[in-house]
Amino acid sequence: MAQRRKMNLGLTIANIGYHHAAWRHPDVPAAGAMRFEHYRRCAVLAEAGLFDFIFLADTASVRSLDKPNFARDREHEQVKHEPLALMAALAAITSRVGLVPTVSSTYTDPYNIARGVGTLDHLTHGRAGWNLVTGFCPDEARNYGWDTVPPPEMRYARAAEFVDVMGALFDSWDDDAVIRDKASGVFFDRSKMHRLDHRGRFFQVRGPLDLPPLPQRHPPLFTAGTSAESQELAARCADVVYAGKVTLEDARSYYASVKGRLARYGRAPEDLLILPGIMVYVGRTRQEAQDKFDRLQGLLTDEHGLGLLATYGLPDYSGCDLDGPVPDLPTGIELFGQYASVALARAQREGLSIRQLYQMVGGGFWSLRAIGTPADIADLMEEWVSTGAADGFNIQPPCVPISAEDFVAMVVPELQRRGLFRREYEGRTLRERMGLPAAVSRYARTPELRAAGE
Amino acid sequence: MADGHDVKRVRRQMRLGLSVASVGYHYTAWRLPEVSSIGAMDLQHHIRAAQIAERGKMDFLFLADWASLMNLDDPRIARDREHAQLKMDPTLVVAALAAVTERVGFVPTASTTYNHPYNFARRMASIDHISGGRLGWNMVTGFNPEEAYNFSHDKPVASDVRHARAGEFIEVVRGLFDSWDADALPRDKASGIYFDRSKVHFLDHKGEHFGVRGPLDVERPPQGMLPIVTAGVSDNAMELAARFADISYGGQPNVEAARTYYSTVKGKLAKYGRSEDEMLMMPGIQCYLGRSQAEAEDKFARIQALLDPKVGIGHLILNHFPDLSGLALDAPVPDLAMATDMMEHRISGREPELTLALIRRAKAEKLTLRQLFDVAMCGFWSLGLIGTPGMIADTMEEWFTTGAADGFNVQPPYMPAGAEDFVELVIPELQRRGLFRTEYEGRTLRENLGLRAVPSRYAGSPEKGAPEQSLAEQPPAMAS
Repeated sequence: MAQRRKMNLGLTIANIGYHHAAWRHPDVPAAGAMRFEHYRRCAVLAEAGLFDFIFLADTASVRSLDKPNFARDREHEQVKHEPLALMAALAAITSRVGLVPTVSSTYTDPYNIARGVGTLDHLTHGRAGWNLVTGFCPDEARNYGWDTVPPPEMRYARAAEFVDVMGALFDSWDDDAVIRDKASGVFFDRSKMHRLDHRGRFFQVRGPLDLPPLPQRHPPLFTAGTSAESQELAARCADVVYAGKVTLEDARSYYASVKGRLARYGRAPEDLLILPGIMVYVGRTRQEAQDKFDRLQGLLTDEHGLGLLATYGLPDYSGCDLDGPVPDLPTGIELFGQYASVALARAQREGLSIRQLYQMVGGGFWSLRAIGTPADIADLMEEWVSTGAADGFNIQPPCVPISAEDFVAMVVPELQRRGLFRREYEGRTLRERMGLPAAVSRYARTPELRAAGE
Repeated sequence: MADGHDVKRVRRQMRLGLSVASVGYHYTAWRLPEVSSIGAMDLQHHIRAAQIAERGKMDFLFLADWASLMNLDDPRIARDREHAQLKMDPTLVVAALAAVTERVGFVPTASTTYNHPYNFARRMASIDHISGGRLGWNMVTGFNPEEAYNFSHDKPVASDVRHARAGEFIEVVRGLFDSWDADALPRDKASGIYFDRSKVHFLDHKGEHFGVRGPLDVERPPQGMLPIVTAGVSDNAMELAARFADISYGGQPNVEAARTYYSTVKGKLAKYGRSEDEMLMMPGIQCYLGRSQAEAEDKFARIQALLDPKVGIGHLILNHFPDLSGLALDAPVPDLAMATDMMEHRISGREPELTLALIRRAKAEKLTLRQLFDVAMCGFWSLGLIGTPGMIADTMEEWFTTGAADGFNVQPPYMPAGAEDFVELVIPELQRRGLFRTEYEGRTLRENLGLRAVPSRYAGSPEKGAPEQSLAEQPPAMAS
């Protein structure tokens, strides 16, 4: 009988937690986002829990500071570390776990990012990944000379070219190009070095990359997104998709949709892993788990809760009776964003008060959430991975590090008992640990390229 | 040592950086049997270097950089026989080192031409936090044409453009670092207020090269502003240094030239409202050290014996010599004329006058090619010494006390032994003379360098909270 495929687990550190009120929890370091000691604890925890990788999301801006009704001053996400710098620092104090920083193809240059991701791969002996985003936030665009976010067509075309250039830069040197032969005095073999001479719509890059071949050659590329463009980009070049579906049904159809696109790029279904995010509240009893969730919900202040509604595109309810029903949408007010109408419809269907609405939004209704015992959580995860909805998960701890500690102490052993998760790290590189195929240089795959090159 | 200690407190002391070019400043370092040729790609190599610097109470570890290979089109330059072309991004190497060191500062190189100031500011602010305020920045504009070709340029970026962009870049970075007042983040669990909007500032910069609205999404870095290091002898480079630099990394081979450079650059400071003590002049120094003169000379001879003539000739070409391929190593070189075809590749600080002087010397002393390599590899374009700790300390003291240097960037010819020799042999001698610290004075790089604190542009009064205060953890407050 074939060995059961183990699930892949990533630890997503949204600094001090995925719950909006995490920072007010007495056991959460409120200043953790800027504290290296905080991340040091997370890294130790991630390796103790045998996670495949630590994932760090990113937006290169402070968000909507000019919209006072968004209550950003109540949130803990606005100051943070630059992901590559933080991951490089973690490289020095970890030895097994993968490190996956987020990088925007819209606001950076591929040569710099190839050096950055390549450096991280060398620093970690093959534990780097990179999460490519195109940037959806207008505040970010304004830090780079734009008035607002460049149009999606441009961002996706740039992302595709960016990935191509990165891949070609990573192939600058054949495996046996950097020989460092003390006897002959030859450090590298020019005949095994490749220039790109790339001239595209967005970039001209001559190359070669000034790094020896990376331990993984191509560190795993992560992407996310549900649009047709983002699914197509994932099918063409991603190794891992960070998915965000909330129901099993939606997740299965997304899984099938992305995996179904692989064949046209000559790729097999197992060449791409789909890992949805999941927020886990685990307790020894269901009541204990529920208490953990309720406690955080209780830490959302009214100002913060109303601000979150505005942030998610709902009307400004300040001045209304928070314990009264959610009023009908005033005429002339438009909802925006992908969640607002869903949230409002649900509030009206369920007869929620404004307070209940902001708690629903603040509790992360847009994200897969599991509250229960280790067995409950494992049941859910097992169902998803065994019925074509996921290959594993990105664990989004509501509070960091305490919820991650809970996950490692309670859920990981349960998954291991069921044979769903590793009992020790296997392999050497992130690719090997994740069960991804080895990356082969384009010049090794396609010998005629070599002939055409230098 | 008690009297020496007292002397130390009143005397000006030198600053020392450890400059690590891959596995050493000598092009052939990697061929020494005891040197790890993989070194520069190995984090442990860099950790060892940082620990050596820290053990020696040195101010900082300096890492040079350029975002390309160099001279690959020119087969006369044997870059494939050197170890320094393949390297990691020094800002990220330094981020890793920050996690495993306590006191030593770090000065990675980053270019203002091929980076964006918002990306750069957040990375550097991050590393300043991770290191607890130990980060500096070697600001370069990128003289190497091959970098331009990696960043969508068809031709090299003109010096005037690069330097104008650099000025704007630094202003933007400074502005972004001031985004958050030191006390902008109360993170008050009781009230639920994480930050105080009135203490966060948009930059709204709209300049010739950049439009940057801000604020930076990183808390104000512990040092407020990173110490800036620059180098270069062009008018553009010296003006930029006089405007912004805290440290000038000079490259003069003798004390007279160094004094001239020292007074020229320092003389420009007043124009920018700065006093002469606001900039430290730290020339490079490369030494081969022995307990005896003979031992030092043996060390130099040993590495020179491994120098591939192709490498030696290539570097002479880069320094405006004609191509000497085909000449016998041990015959006197013929009369030479300076070549001008490599001016585009001119390394900052390596003046054509130095080449003319060496050409004249070769003729006068009938130097063989091998002897020419010896001169060119140690002490040609920057201070290079082969000798005992006492002799080297004498030279450093002379430079330090006669207006040629405020300190030095030590460039070990090979790693780690070259750096260990310096820390074990020269630093104790400098300490004995009261010329160098025996303990770190401060916590941040700025403090150790004796540089003034940089208050935020928005700081109303000097007694307003120091940046460090914002780092204090909130006490675990009551949950509401």
